[in-house]
Amino acid sequence: MKMKRLLATGLAAMLMAGALAACGSTPASTGTASTPSTAAPASTGAAVGDGKVYYLNFKPEQDEQWQALAKAYTEETGVEVTVLTAASGQYETTLKSEIAKTEAPTLFQVNGPVGLASWKDYCYDLSSSQLYGELSSDEFALKDGDKVAGIAYVIETYGIIYNKGLLEKAGYTQDDIKNFEDLKKVAEDITARSGELGFSAFTSAGMDGSSDWRFKTHLANLPIYYEYKADGISSTDAIKGSYLDNYKAIWDLYINNSTTKPALLSTKTGDDAVAEFVTEQAVFYQNGTWAYNDIADLGDDNLGMLPIYIGAEGEEKQGLCTGTENYWCVNSKASEEDIQATLDFLYWCVTSEEGTTALCTDMGFVIPFKGNLPATNPLVNISNDYIADGYTPVSWNFTTMPSEQWKNDLGSALTGYAAGTSQWDGVVTAFVDGWAKEYAAVNG
Amino acid sequence: MEKAIKRYFPLFIIPTLAAFLIGFIIPFIMGVWLSFCEFTTVQDATFVGFKNYLLAFADETFVHALGFTALFAVVSLVLINVLAFMLAMALTKKLAGTNIFRTIFFMPNLIGGIVLGYIWQLIFNGILSQFDLALNLNAKFGFWGTVILVCWQQIGYMMIIYIAGLQTIPTDVMEAANIDGASGRQRLFRVTLPMMMPSITICTFLSITNGFKLFDQNLSLTGGEPAHATEMLALNIFNTFYSRVGFEGVGQAKAVLFFLLVVGIGLLQLRLTRSKEVQQ
Amino acid sequence: MSKTKKAGRAMGSVLLAILSIIYASPIFIILMNSFKKKTYINLEPFVFPTAKTWAGLENYQTGFDKYNFLSGVSTSVIITIGSVVAILLFCSMFAWYITRVHTRFTKFMYLLCVFSMVVPFQMVMFTLSKTADTLKLNTPFTIPIVYLGFGAGLAVFMFCGFIKGVPIEVEEAAMIDGCSPPRTFFSVVLPIMQPTYISVGILQTMWIWNDFLLPYLVLDQKRYRTIPMIIQMMKGSYGRVDMGAIMACLILAVIPVIVFYLFSQKYIIEGVAAGAVKG
Repeated sequence: MKMKRLLATGLAAMLMAGALAACGSTPASTGTASTPSTAAPASTGAAVGDGKVYYLNFKPEQDEQWQALAKAYTEETGVEVTVLTAASGQYETTLKSEIAKTEAPTLFQVNGPVGLASWKDYCYDLSSSQLYGELSSDEFALKDGDKVAGIAYVIETYGIIYNKGLLEKAGYTQDDIKNFEDLKKVAEDITARSGELGFSAFTSAGMDGSSDWRFKTHLANLPIYYEYKADGISSTDAIKGSYLDNYKAIWDLYINNSTTKPALLSTKTGDDAVAEFVTEQAVFYQNGTWAYNDIADLGDDNLGMLPIYIGAEGEEKQGLCTGTENYWCVNSKASEEDIQATLDFLYWCVTSEEGTTALCTDMGFVIPFKGNLPATNPLVNISNDYIADGYTPVSWNFTTMPSEQWKNDLGSALTGYAAGTSQWDGVVTAFVDGWAKEYAAVNG
Repeated sequence: MEKAIKRYFPLFIIPTLAAFLIGFIIPFIMGVWLSFCEFTTVQDATFVGFKNYLLAFADETFVHALGFTALFAVVSLVLINVLAFMLAMALTKKLAGTNIFRTIFFMPNLIGGIVLGYIWQLIFNGILSQFDLALNLNAKFGFWGTVILVCWQQIGYMMIIYIAGLQTIPTDVMEAANIDGASGRQRLFRVTLPMMMPSITICTFLSITNGFKLFDQNLSLTGGEPAHATEMLALNIFNTFYSRVGFEGVGQAKAVLFFLLVVGIGLLQLRLTRSKEVQQ
Repeated sequence: MSKTKKAGRAMGSVLLAILSIIYASPIFIILMNSFKKKTYINLEPFVFPTAKTWAGLENYQTGFDKYNFLSGVSTSVIITIGSVVAILLFCSMFAWYITRVHTRFTKFMYLLCVFSMVVPFQMVMFTLSKTADTLKLNTPFTIPIVYLGFGAGLAVFMFCGFIKGVPIEVEEAAMIDGCSPPRTFFSVVLPIMQPTYISVGILQTMWIWNDFLLPYLVLDQKRYRTIPMIIQMMKGSYGRVDMGAIMACLILAVIPVIVFYLFSQKYIIEGVAAGAVKG
């Protein structure tokens, strides 16, 4: 009896819901149709006077500096600037949920052509902006046809940062490391004597979300770079993986000569690696110019950088990896006032003394604008020296990786391989098959 | 009297109804509609028919999540209810310290899923690292880890419901069974369990729907690692929605399927256990 | 016979005591680790802090200063109180109306409430956050409307279950004495429903206080974060994972709940039991 009633209730509820969905579509659609018409005047009404800036920041390392800069700008001009920093690895998720809101970010970033493909409908054409006029070279503009959709705001460099003092203690200098064989020899020698030396070769290659991008994205750039170079292309819908053996070699080197057992890498965080490097438990630390503030305690003279050698032909002349994956985009769907306010803010950032000091000195950026200041970041100077000495910088080809999903899958495969729970084949599959699959999924 | 009340329709009905429209009815209808559309925002939706549903089933991670979630829901259902029932039996024996034990067993229930996930992550990784293992390396650890976490959280809750149920069994029924010479086993299976069916219905209903809907604990404990192997349905839907551009429609289609599944299982479960209830 | 029975009872108590200790240990492990320096937490989670690893209250300080834990507490408190009060007041009124007035509309409303109870949040998460955003329900002061809407199903269902068992004669008598329906509701119905208010209130508080996804998607993240949101953000946020601060914040998140529980245990346990029986 009871059961019957309940069943009837449930059925009725479902039927009703179905009926409601069917006949309710008229009021619902007028409901949604009326939303923009009521919301639009409200939002422009609210924006009377000055616009507002809402920056969804990608770089967690510079969160504090951006907050400070935003505050300074508000104090100077009275324009409200809000900065929200997405958790690392969560930028896409945060951008997606924030951009759907009425108070959407007016300023966000994409990581290059692949990111632009997803977001181009939201990119305001910057070709007539003052900001564009400040660019030191046109190559730093991200274009979608004739439209300037994004403008790079930082040029960065990464490689293997090393502790000069420790390397000398182990009996080597930078001159001893000119290719992958040398690097391997030095690292394995340090590992063999780590008990006596008191330190290891590499910091932990942590695969926690706060650190795994160093390997699934930055390190993976090298096999892609060499493959593109060999094939004379700049992007592809299907990677061949011709340099995956080299990728394996460098990854093996990292995980077998570090402070941590390979199986434990999955829980190691970015902080752990920094702590190991700063407390002199390891000589080598793969990271880039943005990490300077974290490791400054070791002393500027004590820091050096090596190219990431993977054993490809001609790597003796290989330099550090220099490029950008950070392009500012102004949200074209924001109100006119907000767009103007955002453009003004950006112009101020790259031209005013306060703005350029914050970007170049506090954040340690090299900015591709005329107002760039000489670097105080020693890692930037090291990278400039490499170029001056005739080494060829490695370009950032990871901006052509098909999707975030691809990177995540590669990361999982690397973690599994390091822990011994899966084979290298898993990495190859994620790298090669995953690329074609993701490329097809994303590009329809 | 009805007439008098009816005049106050705006006062009694409008506030809840308005909120209900905003918080449930409109989003629900829009959600069903959008599952047949391609969209990035609500305004630019274009109708595409069943394409999203086909894509949802073509997605291996979704199919895997379906199986994984079902297995998880069944295992956690059985473990939670058996253990909670045993504890409830023990705690109605008037043992010394019963109140303190009850307090402790119920406590984890009040802690939120996100917090629980990080608490257990530390503990599991601490144990596993002794053996050079970690939670996010192996789907088996992730599975059992989540089972243990959910048991820890929900046993207390179900136990309270079972205790309440046990206390409603009239003592004379038990005494009669005793006099008739029923063994402990017979008393449990012939008297206690049938009398407890209403409580069992509720507890199994709650634990199976909780199992299917699990999100916070899944997100914080394993985050779906390794490679989506421990990703449950709710998290899979969230990830489809928010971490992939262009897959919003597929995410919404998955959500509709998920909803149908939860409703279907709920009804089925009620039907199965209600039919065993004795009329009192 | 009675001797072995006594021994058996003692054994039972001892077993349960051991089980209780195991049951409570995770909280103590976190507490212990919250006083360790952050680099030692992952390395040796089950070891007591030593002089070398002792961090004092530093982790708690970080939690307060850097992660703004206190603002999270106030956001969570405002949201929970606002939502629970709204749900209790409006849903009980709604439930009384639809139980006492018999029309097709009220019947439909009841079924719709039952129906909404089983719908998973993922079904409406995108459209709900969109609707809430359009209507500016993205602050702690307005989000209770969203909770009232999404949580109405269970509350109305439980109130209806109770009201059905209340003899209608009392209310009729009050109305004949000249009480208007609102007056009847507030002075006659509301007092006798007190136990139901407590159980609904407790179930809703447990849900809203701990809820993560709804505020994460609906709230204006730039300004407001609830406790679960802060804890989730700490993992991977700002490019680093400060295990020490996480431990401290986990403890800070758990303490108010435990204190609240110990003080109102009787009501909570009764509320849960009663809520289930109604279901």
